[in-house]
Amino acid sequence: MFTRMSDIDRMFGAMDLLRNKMGRIFGDFDRSLDYGPGLTLSSSGPRTNLYEDGDTFEIRAEVPGIVKDDLNVSIQGNYLEINGSRSLDTPEGYKIHRAERGTSTFSRSFTLPNDVDAEKVEANLKDGILYLKVPKSEAAKPKQITIG
Amino acid sequence: MKERRDIAKKEEKNIEKTRELRSAIPAVDIYENEDEILLHADMPGVLKEDVAVNIDNGTLSLSGVRKLETKGVLKWEEFNDVEYIRSFSIPQTIETEKVEAELKDGVLKLHLPKSEAAKPKQIEIKAA
Repeated sequence: MFTRMSDIDRMFGAMDLLRNKMGRIFGDFDRSLDYGPGLTLSSSGPRTNLYEDGDTFEIRAEVPGIVKDDLNVSIQGNYLEINGSRSLDTPEGYKIHRAERGTSTFSRSFTLPNDVDAEKVEANLKDGILYLKVPKSEAAKPKQITIG
Repeated sequence: MKERRDIAKKEEKNIEKTRELRSAIPAVDIYENEDEILLHADMPGVLKEDVAVNIDNGTLSLSGVRKLETKGVLKWEEFNDVEYIRSFSIPQTIETEKVEAELKDGVLKLHLPKSEAAKPKQIEIKAA
């Protein structure tokens, strides 16, 4: 008849768990939506990562099924733009059962945080990922300061 | 009065499987003609060695692991290490021995040839 303290503790423990899970639902919701089929190349652009390595920035973009000719990368000052298009690669005479990969023209632009040297940008397309190495201009590189 | 109902279920009963990597569903295109079924799956950044294609008892499972090497400090992240995983049931009429797979530009292309028996045949009508 008397509920023991350990039971009450367990009940609150379960409630806490529920509360944490509810809190996380919206975080997780975004994540699974991010990686759903057909969202890899939406018109807002390919997913990109930005890395900073002291002297250079590296930008990587997920662009599966794209060949060099379909991509256009341009840089002006510290404004970088990536344009591209992908068409359906259905071979002749085949019936389409499912087409999730989608076709689109995408365009994405970035303003890089530091001044960059637009002459020395290198771009590489490998296994469906575009790697862009953008070196910083001299003034923006980190420098060691000696203490006198 | 002697009945004690558990207010909360014990947590030991929940067994959660933990996966090392986040899993993602690759987008696929499926095409078919008389001789074969084609399947193209988007798996950017996955290398040939990290792809596994398995056919078992009418189920085709694809798995591709992508691990990116980090260079410097990651300032902005929209994609990272994932395991692309998806399964399909395929009809019995596929010749499992002759399945071919190709990985190019981050797209996995599978050729699933149909067995002879499944190909559509014209039946000739003889005048009697």
